[in-house]
Amino acid sequence: MTSLLLIAALPLLLALGAMLMPFRWVRWAVPILAWLQLLVLAWLTWPVLSQSQPLLRLTADFCVDRLAALFMLLTTCVVASSLTHAPYYFQAEMHQLDQRHVRIFYAASSLFLLTMTTVFACDNMGALWIAVEMTTLVSSPLVYFDRTKNAVEATWKYLIICSVGIAFALLGTTLIFASSQQALAGSGSMQITDLMRRASTLQYQWLHLGVIFCILGYGTKAGIFPLHNWLPDAHSEAPAPASAMLSGGLLNCALFAIFRITQIVVASDHRGLTIDIVIAMGAVTAIAASLMLLRQHSFKRMWAYSSIENVGIMLVAIGMGSGMLFFLQAANHSIAKVALFLVSGNVVQASGTKRLNALHGVLASSPVWGILLALGALSITGAPPFGMFVSELAILVAATNPGYWPVAVALLTALSISFVAISLHVGRVVCGAAKPGFASTGSQLASSLMPGLLMLCSLLLGLLIGPQVLGYLR
Amino acid sequence: MSLSSFDLLLSAIAITAIMMLGTTNIGTNLRLYALHSLLIAAATAWLGQTRHEPALFLVAAIFALVKAGFVPWFLNSIIRQVGGHSDSGAFIPTALSMPVGIALLGANNVLAQRLPTVINGDGGNIGETFALSLITTGMLLMLTRNIAVNQVIGFLVIENGIYLFSQTQTQGMPMALEMGILLDLLVAVMIAGILLFRIKKNFEHIDISKLTELKD
Repeated sequence: MTSLLLIAALPLLLALGAMLMPFRWVRWAVPILAWLQLLVLAWLTWPVLSQSQPLLRLTADFCVDRLAALFMLLTTCVVASSLTHAPYYFQAEMHQLDQRHVRIFYAASSLFLLTMTTVFACDNMGALWIAVEMTTLVSSPLVYFDRTKNAVEATWKYLIICSVGIAFALLGTTLIFASSQQALAGSGSMQITDLMRRASTLQYQWLHLGVIFCILGYGTKAGIFPLHNWLPDAHSEAPAPASAMLSGGLLNCALFAIFRITQIVVASDHRGLTIDIVIAMGAVTAIAASLMLLRQHSFKRMWAYSSIENVGIMLVAIGMGSGMLFFLQAANHSIAKVALFLVSGNVVQASGTKRLNALHGVLASSPVWGILLALGALSITGAPPFGMFVSELAILVAATNPGYWPVAVALLTALSISFVAISLHVGRVVCGAAKPGFASTGSQLASSLMPGLLMLCSLLLGLLIGPQVLGYLR
Repeated sequence: MSLSSFDLLLSAIAITAIMMLGTTNIGTNLRLYALHSLLIAAATAWLGQTRHEPALFLVAAIFALVKAGFVPWFLNSIIRQVGGHSDSGAFIPTALSMPVGIALLGANNVLAQRLPTVINGDGGNIGETFALSLITTGMLLMLTRNIAVNQVIGFLVIENGIYLFSQTQTQGMPMALEMGILLDLLVAVMIAGILLFRIKKNFEHIDISKLTELKD
């Protein structure tokens, strides 16, 4: 119980502080405390991280295993990096920003961090649902930040589509709960670890139906095809640091919820059908998103579709039941995508347009941003030696092993198409003559600090983990 | 097939929901929603009586207070300020959406009989039919209406259907979870309310079928 309070303490304090402390402190105090939260989490979850104990139970409804701890750290990292970069983003618009709106942004981000962290700690299906729905609610002020027509439209779609999607996950949760009551004659259970233990005694028809509803529900929030409509809108209309958090943090939460639910099916005797559905959905999502990447006109929407493609790849990893592969891909995607959204935010701000055909010559106007964009594009498309290459290769190899050949082919196709699409679009943005009227406020070097560090992380992930994973595959 | 009085109560819940499909006046819709939520609260209290679980009375009271009291009042006050009392309907004409709702009720009955029977739940197939009917009615409401408030109402009806499903088909979720879900819903409605003001201010209408600026 105390550890649960400790996890929640700093973000709550942050949310309160963002609304109350003197305005000039907010921009620095919030990121610093967010990094501190990373240390707190690492200290609390050390027993499971160092594998000295398999499960850290916080209360009856909350527990943390190694995968959950890793995801918690990753998410906190994503939020802290985005918030560290946020002052550089707001600097350019500072004269026209309302102080209260900036305060709300920081407060909502802190609550967003809290709810996302909670998702990973849930051991109770009901609590998991509440936490995932809460992430939608507290992140809608982030999407709404600009308060323009487009931002309002995106927020409305985000709130309504995700809420209705999540409602179906609640129906699924109820169905799984019902399946446990039939087996245990009387006392139903919503505890995931408990359900996994008794998986073979669950009423399997209810269980399957429930899991499918849960996958659809949480899948809406993860942006699976064809329930992805809200995602490009929300990710492109939110301010860059919020887009980074949505893409690098929120998608992992929704996918993690799917992973937890599928774990129950994997533990039961009837795993086949439902797991195949997850893998098929992942493959279809990856292909559809890569095709849509080709015909993009907006810079930030392009990264949103690239996120959907990665969601597809991660779903395949989840379907194959490999938590570690899922995490590896999620970590690589989050790190690279946060860096990309932050740099793209800078570029969009400086050139005053999001339209791909109006953006060109970033390398000539700002060499640092140009190089970072190019590196980021290489990293996100899975080019070696970045981390993404390793995780995607591992997933592909894993897909060929148990005979998921069509899936491997589909993923390879999706990866190739998206590689071409992203290289083409980013190439046009980076190269060419400098754009007249490209005006960056503040130091370009300072606003490249966070993205640069993240790119370095992505590179290191590839160089450090790469040989191990490849050796293991061999 | 004979219906018990509890089944009749459940059928009244489904019928008030289907009646919402028949009107385009948002005020009437909200009143019907309040009545419908009140009936669900009554059904919850009924279950509390038959199962001898006093906790369910508390759930019923809070449910009535939030869903039959605060939410309709809140949405109504927003409608009064934002304007837009009636809805023109969208993909399916309003005159047709009520018969479709009734047909779906029949389809849900067939579906409910095909699903495995529940051992522990009260209400059996009848409860299942009406709960599923609420979910499909809510979906129809969301699909057939243009005004943003009606989307929220549709979502709330879906949510009520899921609640009714969990009450009749299981022994009820733990109370803490029910309260958490209700809190989520309350926050969602309030955020939607704030957004409604903003939509009205930026677009000068709250017709979501005209929110089409964002596309690839």
